[in-house]
Amino acid sequence: MTTYTICIFTENTIGLLNRITIIFTRRRINIESLTVSETERKGVSRFTIVIKHESREEVEKLVRQIRKIVEVMAVFGYLNDEIVYNEIALFKISTPLGSKSLDVETINKEYKAWVVYWGLDYVVIEKTGNDTEIFEFFGYLKKYEILEFVRSGRVAVGKTEKGLVEYLPESEWAYYL
Amino acid sequence: MEAIASIKPETAHAVDAAPALAPAPTYINGSHALMKALLAEGVDTIFGYPGGAIMPVYDALYDYQDQINHILVRHEQGAGHAAQGYARVTGRAGICLVTSGPGATNLVTAIADALIDSTPLVCIVGQVGKKLLGTDAFQEADVMGVTMPITKWNYQITDADEVPEILSKAFYIAQSGRPGPVLIDMTKSAQLELMTKPYVYQRCQSLVSYRPRRIPKQEQVETAASLINSAKRPYIFAGHGVQIAKAEAELIEFAEKTGIPVATTLLGQSTISTNHPLYVGWLGMHGNYGPNVMTDQADVIIAIGMRFDDRVTGDASKYIKQAKVIHIEIDPSEIDKIIRADAPVVGDAKEVLKALLPLVKPNDHTVWRNEFRKYDAIENETITVPELTSLDGKIRMAEVIDMLSKKTKGEAILVTDVGQHQMMASRYYQFRKPNSLVTSGGMGTMGFALPAAFGAQVGAPDRQVVAIIGDGCFQMTLQELGTIVQNKQPVKAIILNNNFLGMVRQWQQLFHERRYSFVELQNPDFITIARGFGMDGQTCDQRDNLSDALDTLLAHEGPFLLEVIVEKEENVFPMVPAGASVSQIRLK
Ligand SMILES: Cc1ncc(C[n+]2csc(CCOP(=O)(O)OP(=O)(O)O)c2C)c(N)n1
Repeated sequence: MTTYTICIFTENTIGLLNRITIIFTRRRINIESLTVSETERKGVSRFTIVIKHESREEVEKLVRQIRKIVEVMAVFGYLNDEIVYNEIALFKISTPLGSKSLDVETINKEYKAWVVYWGLDYVVIEKTGNDTEIFEFFGYLKKYEILEFVRSGRVAVGKTEKGLVEYLPESEWAYYL
Repeated sequence: MEAIASIKPETAHAVDAAPALAPAPTYINGSHALMKALLAEGVDTIFGYPGGAIMPVYDALYDYQDQINHILVRHEQGAGHAAQGYARVTGRAGICLVTSGPGATNLVTAIADALIDSTPLVCIVGQVGKKLLGTDAFQEADVMGVTMPITKWNYQITDADEVPEILSKAFYIAQSGRPGPVLIDMTKSAQLELMTKPYVYQRCQSLVSYRPRRIPKQEQVETAASLINSAKRPYIFAGHGVQIAKAEAELIEFAEKTGIPVATTLLGQSTISTNHPLYVGWLGMHGNYGPNVMTDQADVIIAIGMRFDDRVTGDASKYIKQAKVIHIEIDPSEIDKIIRADAPVVGDAKEVLKALLPLVKPNDHTVWRNEFRKYDAIENETITVPELTSLDGKIRMAEVIDMLSKKTKGEAILVTDVGQHQMMASRYYQFRKPNSLVTSGGMGTMGFALPAAFGAQVGAPDRQVVAIIGDGCFQMTLQELGTIVQNKQPVKAIILNNNFLGMVRQWQQLFHERRYSFVELQNPDFITIARGFGMDGQTCDQRDNLSDALDTLLAHEGPFLLEVIVEKEENVFPMVPAGASVSQIRLK
């Protein structure tokens, strides 16, 4: 299984998420994570979808089908070594009186994570990183009582000279064939 | 941030502010805007069925009766198929107008059918008022959700001001690139409310996120040309895309210059006259023997406007492994989808052929082409001749089509339903004119033919339209007889009645040990039904009367239904069993 990160640039319209996910569903491809936000260009949204797949060919076919959606401007598929990517994880740790005290220094220095909220008897720690880093940190925090754990979808940018949106304007971006 | 302007859709129309001292302008409502938009797109025919959530549009239509011919069908599925028939023969979008909820869901089959057969449709569907959206209001259905996977594009209009821009987009998307159905879900409130700005209509020419490539890239054309020029056994597969692009003449010129044999897909039939020396037959599950077998011997395959449907390829993993594939397609997502292309050429078939023509060398592949003829002889001897000349038993489907073909000189538009009769019609009709077969290929929708034949007749009033229908299929949409009669369209319909769901029975016979599970039909008296609708008809069950019966049908002034009682347990051969490779094609 190879991990692919698919970046989709679209017009920002209602129902598009549905149209895109239908294509994954029809091909029985599971979405590992999905994030959407508007890009630096107004009206242009960027989807970052992570999937795992055995066949590159199938992923290419998937990309072509996505490109076919009228509101989709461009689709780019990446392998992990072609992108810089991260997720955000939040850990809610129970800290009632008398519980094991947090080693904030290790958390900060070793794991590059931060306490972002102090509650009465809990804290919320934020860790940004790729999934391996986040799970390493999870391993470390296991000795505390983890009340909640949540990860965001992946965000990614390509390791290219230009920004991807540069590929959007008028002429050649739509078809590489 | 300036760059943003350059990616704005060019369709956005300029709206001038009203002059300060002018009297308050009166703006039109959404329904009237819709009528004007349809007229601006040159629409003169609508197939529809009214209901509560579309009544404001019907009210506006009342004022436009002189310019727009609305045809009241008997079921929304009929509207969809009629619009498909219309679109297939005219090349322009067929228009459907239906109400919300059940009206829209009844249309769904035709929309899905149009998508897979690349047929342009603009479906306008009523929806409950904006305030009621999502409340499970009377006749509310999530039509956007339902049709999302089966439309090329869909959009919900909730605001009258959106009408001109969305309609122009809808027509552009439906008719350009690879054509397909679009659906506009229009709330009742948007139909009723007044626009807040003057109505301005600008036809859409391009969209930022959708740019079908018509003109191919020169490098791609050159690569393809050099493959063609060095090929020993090149072979053209002509699909529906050739006719959509109206590239029949270019195809023939190309084939004649290069001497390359041409086979067609089911939907590609009639692209080239069946008596053209370069035509070798049709491909696929029930296609001709030679074209299928020879697929395995070609060294270069030039696939034009076709998508390697599994009914064409059989087992795709064993298909044309030996050949280099040139895939000419306007839809880039079709390339490498089923069959890896060595030389993809993205573009409109007509433009690609025009670009290829000067680059290909004149050639003569007579020896290679003659190989096909050996197989033709085998097919003729084992299937065609016996089917056409055995004088025992009931009439055979083949005889009916063969005789019809001769009597119409191959010049009719054949509209077929789905099943054995469809394959027989395709096998035995000798097409002489382009754009003469309207059938449900990708979806295989029973009930397609009668309404589609009606739509085709409306779209091509000067041509003879003959529908070939199975007894099973006919009973799915026979109520459209009423539409045909009411609109005085001279559609000729032939039911090939074998009292079976014949195609399913054939599979049961061949692959399920003759366990005929629920395929026998107790049929009504079709002619009485036709008469009930006010249509003339007659039954023929004797071989000796067949010729007269066909003459009567063809000579009849108005619509006519001919029922032919045919052999009950006839099979269609050749046949590539599902999942087998094309070289395993069976002759019996
Ligand atoms: C709506 C629909 N339901 C079921 C089928 C499956 N099917 C394909 S062919 C066929 C039999 C058609 O029977 P008939 O119309 O009598 O034609 P024949 O094959 O006998 O010529 C059936 C049931 C279908 N294609 N479409």
